[in-house]
Amino acid sequence: MKYDVLRSKNLECIFYPKSVAVLGANRVVGTVPHDLLDNILKSDFQGVVFPVSPKEPFIKGVKAYKYVVDIEDPVDLAVIVYASSVCHLALEQCGKKGVKAAIIISAGFKEVGEDGLKREKEVKAIADKYGISFMGPNCLGVINTDPLSNLNASFARRMPQEGNIAFLSQSGALCTAVLDYAYAKHIGFSKFVSFGNKADISEIDLLYYLKDDSKTKVILLYLEEITYGIGLMKAAREVISETGKPILILKSGRTKEGAAAAASHTGSLAGSDEICDAAFKQAGIIRCDTIEDMFNLAIAMSYQPIPAGKRVAIITNAGGPGVLATDSVIHEHLQLAKFSDETTSILKKALPKTANTKNPVDVIGDARADRYNVAITSTLKDDNVDSVFVILTPQSMTDIETIAKEVVTVAKESEKPIYTSFMGESDVAVGIDILQRNKIPHYILPESMSHACSRAYYFGQYLQKTFLEPKIFSDVDVKKANELIAEAKNKGKSFLTEYESVKILECFGLPVVDNGLASSAKEAAKVAGRIGFPVVIKIASSEIVHKSDVNGVKLNIQNETDAAEAYTSIIQSVNESKPGAKAKDVFVQKLIEPGQEVILGLKNDPVFGSVIMFGLGGIFVEILKDVSFRVAPLDRITIEEMISEIKAYKLLTAVRGRKAKDIESIITTIERLAQLAASCPQIKELDINPLIVNEEGKGCFVADAKIML
Amino acid sequence: MEKSEVAERVKKVTKNILKIEGDIDDNSNFIFDLGADSLQSVQLVAAFEEEFDVELDEDGALKIQTISEAVDFISPYVNK
Repeated sequence: MKYDVLRSKNLECIFYPKSVAVLGANRVVGTVPHDLLDNILKSDFQGVVFPVSPKEPFIKGVKAYKYVVDIEDPVDLAVIVYASSVCHLALEQCGKKGVKAAIIISAGFKEVGEDGLKREKEVKAIADKYGISFMGPNCLGVINTDPLSNLNASFARRMPQEGNIAFLSQSGALCTAVLDYAYAKHIGFSKFVSFGNKADISEIDLLYYLKDDSKTKVILLYLEEITYGIGLMKAAREVISETGKPILILKSGRTKEGAAAAASHTGSLAGSDEICDAAFKQAGIIRCDTIEDMFNLAIAMSYQPIPAGKRVAIITNAGGPGVLATDSVIHEHLQLAKFSDETTSILKKALPKTANTKNPVDVIGDARADRYNVAITSTLKDDNVDSVFVILTPQSMTDIETIAKEVVTVAKESEKPIYTSFMGESDVAVGIDILQRNKIPHYILPESMSHACSRAYYFGQYLQKTFLEPKIFSDVDVKKANELIAEAKNKGKSFLTEYESVKILECFGLPVVDNGLASSAKEAAKVAGRIGFPVVIKIASSEIVHKSDVNGVKLNIQNETDAAEAYTSIIQSVNESKPGAKAKDVFVQKLIEPGQEVILGLKNDPVFGSVIMFGLGGIFVEILKDVSFRVAPLDRITIEEMISEIKAYKLLTAVRGRKAKDIESIITTIERLAQLAASCPQIKELDINPLIVNEEGKGCFVADAKIML
Repeated sequence: MEKSEVAERVKKVTKNILKIEGDIDDNSNFIFDLGADSLQSVQLVAAFEEEFDVELDEDGALKIQTISEAVDFISPYVNK
């Protein structure tokens, strides 16, 4: 898939235009064209506005023009609200006028079917002809709260307050809901973008733009479809590694449909959602499950520093919530901080005897602001503490407002993050309002607080990661591998036999054992003799995918006579089980000593490209689903991660008297498989199941392999 | 009925419904050049039906973009 990431889109003209023309504006209150113009005029926009209307000489006291070409002054941005049937005419005039950026609000394009798609392509062609970058069509518009621009080119109900969170959404309706949600919680935005059908400007362009946007600290993205996964990963990685700005994505469509038709283990395990999860993780993107989750994390990362470590101090005025918070801290892979003697001594002096001065610190139900102050400031100063959780439940004597103000004052001076949970709703509302207005992350439940802190901490850990260059092997024969693939394709094959698959793996130095093909009992005996006993003999037919179902495998053959007999027996049972199948060849292979069985797989995903799978192998792979995925190319550190990520990883290490397995050889095998993936794009799916892994230093071997074209 | 007569009457109805003073030419686009909104587009179809005493195919009529397209669309109905 091609994607022109190098072409710089005129996003500066979209966010910071000096002049905006609204094409299709009207005077009818309550319609999109009217409300959009009204929003621009009301938002204290720092540029000039030109309504364009075929009939109206002026709108809202502003002179209107019949056509955009009639405007004497230059126009930086055209906002088009005409019916979809005439958007192409409007854009054509924009091109003639020399406008370089547009927002097409109008619906009635790709989303309505064939006719709409045709219109969208027509509009895109005109934009390309004149070099116009455009947002949309079918979108809510764009908001930039930067006082240098103050642009609300949208038909949202309100302009959000200024903040450092950028929100990008494929859905326009979600934007208005989010604006309302955020308004109630005093959450501000730097840029607010609905990009609709993304016919021209996509989320990838926006990520590159926001990388350099000094007003944006955290990027939120709502996506319904990913069209170019690798581009998204690359852009995200650049933004995150170069600027440390977190990218939080809410991706809808967690379905299994994509995996339904797959023929290999890898294909059936690697559903689109699993791949998406893996790709996001690999790129450092934080995937969120709900809008609430997204904003919970966004405020943690936007308002507070990233925790330097995972040690948390919990300060509470009630035991129960303290226990809940402790449980969630552990559940979220954080730790309870162990206080220094100095901190403990301060707490003992300042708190009543009944208070708990160990973590979680219980300042007792009757605590007022002074006790909270001592507990928060002393734990923040403690070198053993990385972040502080402040929990409050409303007792009759709890001075909620003063405590909230105290938290705000302390947090402003602190370099460590503070998160709060004032539990309840009505009584604590006054405190929550103070916290939210002052940009202190607040959560109704301690569990959400732990989750947000944990995601922030692990994001910080991702920033520390180093990436290596993927290893490239020179002892590979790409030409031969592709010739073998072309030969199979010419024969109309989509499933390769194990023999054919193994020959392709051999081209990339994957650890296959000595093998050969035989078409008669005599030949089977001869090939087995050459390889050396013991051997395994298996049916070799592209019509038979599951060999053991047709009794097509004979193990541990010790001599030539048994090899000849095995041939006859296999062919006979296959013919009986599957009459008419073209079965005359067998695959003879050196018997591999038992070891730990793992699975390696490859899937060519239409969105993310080559995806590599690793997991616990054998026949239960699809039941246990203990697998990990990564998008190729892969560096060594990423491969180590994907190996150690599976639950059964301990089986590969020295455990209960068993010797450690040869993990190094798995790494090399995956490196070679990734090179195969990059070199042979015609392979749709590939399974190596099992790969038998021996003890440390003794390598691993491909026991069975399957390739689909 | 001659096409020129259909054209004259289409323009007259259009000017009336869209409240346009002055001339309009054959290539004028109802929305882009004459400022028709979706409601006025429906009103125009109804007005053409009344003017020519015909019943137009509504789906087809609403796809009409320009005066000349309207003339081409209406002419076969009036000459049936």
